[in-house]
Amino acid sequence: MSDPAMQTIHRDPALFYWILIPITIVMILTGVLRHYATVLLATTPKKLTLPALREQRSLLRGINLRNNSSAISTSSFNTRRDYLVSAYKDGTFLKDPENRGKPQGNPMTDPAAMEGMMGMMKGNMAMMIPQTVIMSWINAFFAGFVIMKLPFPLTIRFKSMLQSGVMTRDLDVRWVSSLSWYFLNLFGLQSVFIFILGNDNAANQMAQQMSQMNPSAAGQMFQPGQDPDKAFLNEAENLEVLEHECILNGVEERLLASLKAG
Amino acid sequence: MALSVSQQLQRFLRDNAATGALGYPIPFLSTPESGDVWMEHEKLLVSCLRTGDDKGAFLCLERLIGRFGATNERVMGLRGLYQEALAEDETALKQVLREYDDILAGDVTNTPIAKRRIALLCTLNRSSEAIEALNELLESSPTDIEAWAELADLYAARGLFSQAIFCLEEVLLVAPNAWNVHARLGELLYILGSTGNNVHQATVDAIGRFCRSVELCNDYLRGYYGLKMASDRLLSLLDSGSRQTQAPHNAEGRQLSVQCVRQLNEQATLKLAEATRDRTGDEQNRNELVAATRLLSKGDETRVR
Repeated sequence: MSDPAMQTIHRDPALFYWILIPITIVMILTGVLRHYATVLLATTPKKLTLPALREQRSLLRGINLRNNSSAISTSSFNTRRDYLVSAYKDGTFLKDPENRGKPQGNPMTDPAAMEGMMGMMKGNMAMMIPQTVIMSWINAFFAGFVIMKLPFPLTIRFKSMLQSGVMTRDLDVRWVSSLSWYFLNLFGLQSVFIFILGNDNAANQMAQQMSQMNPSAAGQMFQPGQDPDKAFLNEAENLEVLEHECILNGVEERLLASLKAG
Repeated sequence: MALSVSQQLQRFLRDNAATGALGYPIPFLSTPESGDVWMEHEKLLVSCLRTGDDKGAFLCLERLIGRFGATNERVMGLRGLYQEALAEDETALKQVLREYDDILAGDVTNTPIAKRRIALLCTLNRSSEAIEALNELLESSPTDIEAWAELADLYAARGLFSQAIFCLEEVLLVAPNAWNVHARLGELLYILGSTGNNVHQATVDAIGRFCRSVELCNDYLRGYYGLKMASDRLLSLLDSGSRQTQAPHNAEGRQLSVQCVRQLNEQATLKLAEATRDRTGDEQNRNELVAATRLLSKGDETRVR
């Protein structure tokens, strides 16, 4: 490889005005448009019916009882545990008790689950379509241009990142191709979007990826396709084996000790 | 407190006039919208109603409706609150109640309205209906601690202390470190002890609850007050009990040594004396401080005699 300092490419300044700046502006505009498109496409989450609400919160009650059992006395705990365990086992809290024991249907047929999947699809589409369109646009118009030189040296590893679309072995890593400029923009405009659109904008890819990782975090206890009856039986088992220890045991001595120490 | 808040109304509304009312779709030119602003609108609405500034409350409500729409559950609840506050007589309140019933007939899962309805039933002195409605609400959402706490208060007001204790325990299962709930539970146990037959056990439990509340929140006046009351009673019980029969030993009931109770009593007295001495300027807790002073002077009198 030749001495990087010696490499000079005489670029037409028009490259700068007609490629670098347009790509940047187009990227920013797509981000903004995507934000508004996602906002428009977003459907409000469907409200749960009362039995579904009851099902979820009853399970939550059991979990709370298990986690915070130390706050109440042993006799109170035993009463609650006996009640919840028998109710869980009988399926009292189930949304549709007659469906109990039957295998879960295909989640595709459940309209509520479909709704959720549609929402996710819409989000993904709003993400993917602009990306595909713009990338093919750039590929078609600007492929193979070297448009800018970074003012600092980089190691050879960055070559594939910065010079995609330019098939030269000897070109210094500091030169950036147009397609790479697109990728840099795609991943590097996060802070610009935060500045323009506010913190929780939909153009922010990171947030979207995070929410895809963990879709159940948003209030939904049961994922589509999961059998609530199984969850209840599980929780009943957890409660049955729990060893109860009341926090009030020895609280007087603890308090006295801390008061003396303080 | 509420007065000083509601007096800031004009300034607050002016400062936040731009929020939400987006004339142009370029977000970075306008003030960023945050959830806090709307929480503040809500708080302002409530304190306006408390201070009788109905006009200010209306402005806040209008803003909230403008932002979230009149069909938002939370906004519906606040609107109901506003209407209740403006209702002049019982017939107007009943009209509001009918509206709530209509809304709930359309959508049973509207929790804010269901809660408003319960509060309104309490206002109309129909507490048995309120208890019924609360039980219904808790049947479908048993993790709602607000509702459990309200139900506990209603039960306690009717003298059903063991039910009230059950409700407060439910609250503790969701918020195990709420020291005020621990103290309240202690108070209920103390009262239960003064009505029921198992005085000894209830008092010991009450002492445990008060100790826990003080352990969670240092210098919690109410906790120490209760601790002193309960330990006083337990000491007198132990005094009389030692002459008659020993306190009943049930299997899981906790027992306290006389020495321990005495120490707790001393500490509580000490802390109360400290609080009444140091916190004289504390406006918020003045009633509690007065009560503490009275309790201390009563204790002194008995000792002198």
